[in-house]
Amino acid sequence: MSTLIEKYDNRVLFMDNAVEVHGLVKTYRIKKKHGLLKSSTEIIEALRGVSFRVKYGEVVGLLGPNGAGKTTTIKILATLLLPDSGTARVAGFDVVKEPDKVRRNIGLMLTVEKGFYGKLTGRENLEYFAALYGLNKRKATERINHLIKLLELDKLGADVKLFEEFSLGMKARLSLARALLSDAPILLLDEPTLGLDPPSARRIRELVRELARSEKKAIIYTTHNMFEAEIVCDKIIMINKGQIVAEGTPGELKDKIPKLKILNLMIRGRNNLEALLKNIDLKYEFKIEEGDIFNIKIHSRKPEDILGELLKKLINNGFEIITVKIEEPTLEDVFIYFSEGAQ
Amino acid sequence: MSFMDILRAEYRLVYNDVFRRKSVLLTLILYPYIFTAFTLFIGYSAGTPSDFIQRVGVDPALYLITASYMLTSVLASLDDLLWKPLFDTYTGTVIYILASPVNRLKLYAAIPFPRLTLLVLMGFTSIIPVYLFYFGLNGVLLGLIIMGVITLACLIMIPFAIFVASSVHRVGESWRILNIVRPLVIIFLGVYYPRIYMPLGAYIVSSLIPASHIVEIAQRILIGMQSGLFTLFSIAVTLAIIYVPIGQFSLRSWERKKVKEGVKTP
Repeated sequence: MSTLIEKYDNRVLFMDNAVEVHGLVKTYRIKKKHGLLKSSTEIIEALRGVSFRVKYGEVVGLLGPNGAGKTTTIKILATLLLPDSGTARVAGFDVVKEPDKVRRNIGLMLTVEKGFYGKLTGRENLEYFAALYGLNKRKATERINHLIKLLELDKLGADVKLFEEFSLGMKARLSLARALLSDAPILLLDEPTLGLDPPSARRIRELVRELARSEKKAIIYTTHNMFEAEIVCDKIIMINKGQIVAEGTPGELKDKIPKLKILNLMIRGRNNLEALLKNIDLKYEFKIEEGDIFNIKIHSRKPEDILGELLKKLINNGFEIITVKIEEPTLEDVFIYFSEGAQ
Repeated sequence: MSFMDILRAEYRLVYNDVFRRKSVLLTLILYPYIFTAFTLFIGYSAGTPSDFIQRVGVDPALYLITASYMLTSVLASLDDLLWKPLFDTYTGTVIYILASPVNRLKLYAAIPFPRLTLLVLMGFTSIIPVYLFYFGLNGVLLGLIIMGVITLACLIMIPFAIFVASSVHRVGESWRILNIVRPLVIIFLGVYYPRIYMPLGAYIVSSLIPASHIVEIAQRILIGMQSGLFTLFSIAVTLAIIYVPIGQFSLRSWERKKVKEGVKTP
């Protein structure tokens, strides 16, 4: 923490939690016109009492189906939307009462495709936003040089190409560079890899992990990509219909769903396999893959506990073990389970 | 966060944009001539140039090129402040501007400067050649004086433009509203239709626009009438100062409304 205070010496960073959200409620009222005189109001409950915390050095993933309330949460934290009730503190500052102080402590990436001036080069765009973020000319140049190199934008021609000529991958990198311009301790990244080519997506994921680990930045990261959430996030918050339905590390979340692990064995042998498996008090299935090669699948909460005994039995009965795999439920299973409304 | 850093950023943004769109630059140069030609065409159908000289005291071509130059320059701050937020919404930059800690008053005061500078300098391609034709070398001096007065009018227009633009956006961010507001300001500035000929109601509304007093100073200089210039100047400056806190309040109110509704993601 002392290093952190040193790094962000002019900002308030004495608390453990970078972001504290409590009982956040937001309802949208959308007026719809029907003909010349008639109109109706559609009420959408975007957030229904969302509470969570994010610590410095932590990447927290906000996951949920479309319309779950992820972007609404990010917008409230970025001071771009007022909540109806509840509180949200960013770097210790209230998002409603102290928006200016919040803005000094956040880096924001809300869209990938738009958000820059088309007739300006990547560098010129960054220079413009650096001025809005209060960086003087010398500091801005230093920071932009560093970020362009860090995100490998120099190799892609961000200094000479106009933004309107950028590929989606370049736009995403530039957008992340802007979020990092002011070196804010808290980053709010809304689907930063959406639609990106694999190298760009990988570079952004690596960088997000790196920023949390080495610079102790608190990062809120929304995504639909389960694989990405699993490798990037320390903690995952699943939102559905404006409510948090599950929260924890990827491992903890997988343990929360009733789906069992699968012990997957590929073996070769000619003895009676069915007779051997009858003694196992677990759900199993097996099929002949090819000639004398069998595939066995045993469903268990802790397949590790039976694995040793099973292998011994198989070998003693003349079976040759080809492969052994333990398949865990994926985060996608967790996502589907919770987004379908189960708890 | 210094005003100069924001100003420098705005200059780079506008000039990189303008000079990469050659058609925009050409339009800026041609505007005063197009306006003049159009108004002269309409004017000739209503009466002869001598009627105009008798009534206003100056050649219509001379008067209208000055009026067109004044209009494009003075109106630029209002135009920019009305247009920029809509452009930022279209480009998706608005969310990043609103999520930045930039001082809103400084930012909105800086926005019109680049185009104002460009338009004021356009005096060299609009009024100076015409004055040179009418008055010889003395015309160049007169042109420079008019350019100086218009620079003043442009600066004085900024707080009022902030107030009008933020009030208009508070009501609704739409091109349609802009198209209602602009012609009204064009009329009440008194550039084409001198304020002294306006009915009382219109004259009072016109008097509330700080730059309209400076426009009258320019018109008086052009027809060689030098009385009351300082009074007009004092009224303009006082009004501009009054509009600063009003504009700031209006900006806050607009942003509050925007955040309450939620800033839209493109």
